[in-house]
Amino acid sequence: MLNVDFNKLAELINQNVSGANATVNTTEDAKTDSSISVEASKIFSVVEFLKTNKEMPFNALQAVSGVDYVEWMEVCYIMAHFDLTTPRELILKVKVTDRVSPAVDSVVSLYPAANFQERECYDMFGIKFNNHPDPRRILCPDDWEGFPLRKDYVAQKVYNGMEVFPDHKMNYDDREFIVRQDMIKKAQTQAAN
Amino acid sequence: MQSKWDIGEPEKPTINSETEQLKSDLLTLNMGPQHPATHGVLRLEIWTDSEIVAHAIPHLGYLHRCMEKHAENLDYRGVIPFVDRLDYLAAMNMEWTYVAAVEKMLGTEVPRRAELIRILVAELNRIASHMMAFGTYAIDLGAFTPFLYAFDEREKILRLFEEVSGARLLYNYIWIGGVWNDWTDEQLERVANFCDVMEEEIKKYNELVSMNKIFIERTANVGVVSIEDCFAYGATGPILRGSGMKWDLRKNMPYGLYSEFDFDIPVGSSEVAGQAGDCWNRYMVRMNEVNESVKIIRQVIQKMEPGPVMGKVSKIIKLPKGEVYVRHECPRGELGVHLISDGGKTPYRLKVKSPCFTHVSMLPHIAPGQMIADLVATVGSIDIVLGEVDR
Repeated sequence: MLNVDFNKLAELINQNVSGANATVNTTEDAKTDSSISVEASKIFSVVEFLKTNKEMPFNALQAVSGVDYVEWMEVCYIMAHFDLTTPRELILKVKVTDRVSPAVDSVVSLYPAANFQERECYDMFGIKFNNHPDPRRILCPDDWEGFPLRKDYVAQKVYNGMEVFPDHKMNYDDREFIVRQDMIKKAQTQAAN
Repeated sequence: MQSKWDIGEPEKPTINSETEQLKSDLLTLNMGPQHPATHGVLRLEIWTDSEIVAHAIPHLGYLHRCMEKHAENLDYRGVIPFVDRLDYLAAMNMEWTYVAAVEKMLGTEVPRRAELIRILVAELNRIASHMMAFGTYAIDLGAFTPFLYAFDEREKILRLFEEVSGARLLYNYIWIGGVWNDWTDEQLERVANFCDVMEEEIKKYNELVSMNKIFIERTANVGVVSIEDCFAYGATGPILRGSGMKWDLRKNMPYGLYSEFDFDIPVGSSEVAGQAGDCWNRYMVRMNEVNESVKIIRQVIQKMEPGPVMGKVSKIIKLPKGEVYVRHECPRGELGVHLISDGGKTPYRLKVKSPCFTHVSMLPHIAPGQMIADLVATVGSIDIVLGEVDR
């Protein structure tokens, strides 16, 4: 991550957005990137602050992506500053603990780029974005069931009268499916506990 | 949904009131999923008011394969062929971005010759991709011949790639730690000859198409995207440069060995035709980029030195726990790879930030108020590849 003093930025966020509770996820390993976590309820104010502040502004939102850690889910906002002298990058994270109806505030009114990105995040993880202008699925069909990138996802059996993953076409001995079954089992036991 | 496009008071019905009533309503048209101007399986739902577009709503997902889910079940080397299939017209650039993310976490040292070959194949693929963009854009605007010229040059590049990687489109050539195969001196000489031919060809294309009066009339001052819009929508690559921002990751945040190379960043302006941010300038940025790529390739051949092309990488790759975000300048914009590892043999999460996906999201903003024919010109100048949009 380039040109970002994480501790200073976290301090700035805490000073200007009350209750943001920004913490730096540092890595001792220089090979991996650090990131900043904030409270999910304050994400709109934090992104607004990052966009408008004078000291370390970010003028573009590159991506909104989800991560399923089984016990909780995370939304990563990857932000960038396009500037010829000091380009910046930042991964901003919020934690969502509710798996049944996860929701965070939408940032579309700040960055129109978030429109499609948040729709994709909803499509893949089922995370709802409050105040989103067009909260539909984007890549999967509108009547698809389940959220494919969740770790406990099992594809529906039948879609519009068509068999999904027909047995005679599947090779269940394939390494891919062994791994997937493990993941599903792990997620289901976690959910049961 | 109400139209934002105001054409004033409708005329009073005279002969057949029902028909006149119909004329005042918006007409819904489907452009795609199979339409020559959408360059793939994109469906644009267009609400038109006679010839003028009131809304354009992109419907995506016709080529959705969920490669991000596939990647979670494959080892790190096994993901590379899947990454190929994102932007199948610039597969080398896609591979390099993903491999760079893995190598950054792994801390692999890549041999110098391999780094140079990576730049060579990435720039060659950039030329091939821009030739495709040039040819299909001319077809969109009604000129068929340039397509054949462009494919002639593209074919030469694909022949070379076929010799070194065994495939014409989806290469699986850049591997973790280096590249799969070495280039012979004879092949490098052919690349040098190709550079000379390409420069002459570009001059020909500019005379034939770029400076053609009809072409300029069709594209100049059409589909203008301001710099503010670019930042708001996160547009990158030729779109951002066409709007006048001198931003190129190869120069501004150099990766690989790009800091050693001397080249310019072409930007759009109102000097020759149109204004910054219109279709003509976006198109012209691509044509000038081909010249810059030729410049880089010549320097690569000069700097090329003998040596190994594969670094030391253990048989089973296990990345440390953590995450990394890497972005590279691909022909269509910045490709970002957000890779999260839990210390296992497979990626825990691989998010691909696709430039084309971002650029498609701009269409509902640019399209309203344009003629349908101008919308075709705009979609063509954005140059999308649906494999990358839908992933």
